[in-house]
Amino acid sequence: MSELRLMKGNEAIAEAAIRCGADGYFGYPITPQSEVMETLMALKPWETTGMVVLQAESEVAAINMLYGGAGCGKRVMTSSSSPGISLMQEGISYLAGAELPCLVVNVVRGGPGLGTIQPSQSDYFQSVKGGGHGDYKLIVLAPSSVQEMADFVELAFDLAFKYRNPAMILADGMIGQMMEKVELKPQKKRWTNEEIEKMHPWATTGKKNSRERNIITSVELDSEKHEQANIRIQKKYKELQEKEVRYEAIDTEDAEYLLVAYGSSARISLAAKELLRKKGHKVGLLRPITLFPFPTKQIRELAEGLKGILSVEMSAGQMVEDVRLAVEGKIKVEHFGRMGGVVPTPEEVADALEQKLIGGQ
Amino acid sequence: MSDNKKLAFLEYKSDQNVRWCPGCGDHAILNSLQKTMAELKIPNDQIAVISGIGCSSRLPYYMSTYGFHTIHGRASAIASGVKLANPKLSVWQITGDGDALAIGGNHFIHVIRRNIDINIILFNNQIYGLTKGQYSPTSKRGFISKTSPFGTIEYPFRPGELTIGARGYFFARTIDKEIKLSVEVMKAASKHKGTSIVEVLQNCVIYNDNTHREITDKKFKDDRTIVLEHGKPMIFGKNRNKGLVLDGTRLKVVTIGEGGITENDILVHDAHCEDPTIHLKLADMEYPEFPVALGVIRDAEAPVYDQCFIEQMDKIKKESKIKSFRDLVTSGDVWEVK
Repeated sequence: MSELRLMKGNEAIAEAAIRCGADGYFGYPITPQSEVMETLMALKPWETTGMVVLQAESEVAAINMLYGGAGCGKRVMTSSSSPGISLMQEGISYLAGAELPCLVVNVVRGGPGLGTIQPSQSDYFQSVKGGGHGDYKLIVLAPSSVQEMADFVELAFDLAFKYRNPAMILADGMIGQMMEKVELKPQKKRWTNEEIEKMHPWATTGKKNSRERNIITSVELDSEKHEQANIRIQKKYKELQEKEVRYEAIDTEDAEYLLVAYGSSARISLAAKELLRKKGHKVGLLRPITLFPFPTKQIRELAEGLKGILSVEMSAGQMVEDVRLAVEGKIKVEHFGRMGGVVPTPEEVADALEQKLIGGQ
Repeated sequence: MSDNKKLAFLEYKSDQNVRWCPGCGDHAILNSLQKTMAELKIPNDQIAVISGIGCSSRLPYYMSTYGFHTIHGRASAIASGVKLANPKLSVWQITGDGDALAIGGNHFIHVIRRNIDINIILFNNQIYGLTKGQYSPTSKRGFISKTSPFGTIEYPFRPGELTIGARGYFFARTIDKEIKLSVEVMKAASKHKGTSIVEVLQNCVIYNDNTHREITDKKFKDDRTIVLEHGKPMIFGKNRNKGLVLDGTRLKVVTIGEGGITENDILVHDAHCEDPTIHLKLADMEYPEFPVALGVIRDAEAPVYDQCFIEQMDKIKKESKIKSFRDLVTSGDVWEVK
């Protein structure tokens, strides 16, 4: 039975993880997402579903616990906030290199360095362009509501296992801390070991005489062979780009101007769009839900009928580069953002669009 | 420097508003550190205070010295860099049980193993305060917190044991509100050449109030703690009639005057002994079986990394035939191209 609840975004992540049948959570406290682990600990899933919850000694330990769990074909996850996610980059790169599925939740706060504990979106580049070393990508989902915080946990696990690649939920301090109504899905069973063996023949489940050894590794000393491994990984990213793009388009049919924003910025931009519509400007909103794969094709097609695009992010301007790559210089693409934990108002966004795009003509 | 000796510590206070919770033990530790510096008369510009992340790590803001609020767990590495780059500085690392022993455990043991001349003040409140109440690596087994609502199932680290296990040569313990004792051990730490660890039993008034109360409360502190002093017998208790003896390979609490025990039977504290066996036993003493050891438990001599580093460099420079770039270029086979 699904269930309606009022809860914080961070709590929704924890509830959804148990309900979708996750096997393990490993984390380390950091504001503004400590409620994820605290909620899991309070719910005691080890007594109901058998899910393991462990407070590690650091984020480095946590991501490597994921590496171990993922290698066994289990659905394992962690959550942290920006500085903690930076610490995990080595492990994330190894997981991607070894083609292992897992879920990493980043409830972003302002950086660089220790930064602030207030919401920010300045980890976009780190999330979608790599972060760690090597040619790899994460599957990146950007929730803009507490409902999506809950829904994307299972979606991220499904995509991670389908493509054998780490997935990330890129939230921010606002989505993590605010409370909204959430519809929680009914409890699903965790996979049995037999199911894992059947569904994921690559997992380390104990070698039987009937099959070859499974080796989980990201190293191939022969460079020709290692290039083949890279080619195989890149193929997955191409397939992801073709099949898994998710986005929401609002009032784009007659739009002359387009706001592009994800997560909390999309909610603010939605209100800004209303303000601008009331003033008579034909403005639409495109909200990327997958940041990788990015809705490049969709933005390019929309751009045909547009006069300009404003990319709205709580950063110095990161996603705007992908929007510009999408439109290939055909129309003007501007950025508006606040940094360091400052959240923009809808009025600021509306003013920015008027000044940078409409007024500028 | 202020003429008034009692107010000399004010020279080490900064103009920043102290942002710890009212009643937090950190206020007293800050006070002790400022008093220590005033008593040692270290010039402000010769001091660097390096912290990691956590409540304790806000301390450098409140000192009118050089300071560095750095990365969670990494303060030992950064303090090592500071000391090696400028060995003349008096370097103090401010850290907590989470910062030093969880995420920073690796750097903590390695700075001790290298024996770099820095003083580490470890605020131990057995909780993560800044992230609002999760258990830490020093929380007692069974401790209930937001991330262990049914009790932890892990044993804690004992900072003294860890220090000695990492081949440490200085370990002292004090209580946040015992300013006189804190100043004494901090002074000893400063004078000790090599890495000095001072564990401060600190009270977190919000998330772990009274965690050390059963030993630090005035009512029973004298019976439940022992203040060790080098060269003096290990006697404690309100009536100064209890002491420590060796019974086989274990320490044992005895009462003077009972069973023929006299003051002469009581162990005499030798903080300078290189062999850490007794120091480890003293550091590990826990209430109720034993009194908790306070004061300087271990203060032994060993080669100091930063001094050895300079000596090695000087020696190599002196012995090397190469004194200039020209010497280097002509040190191997040389051909003239015509």
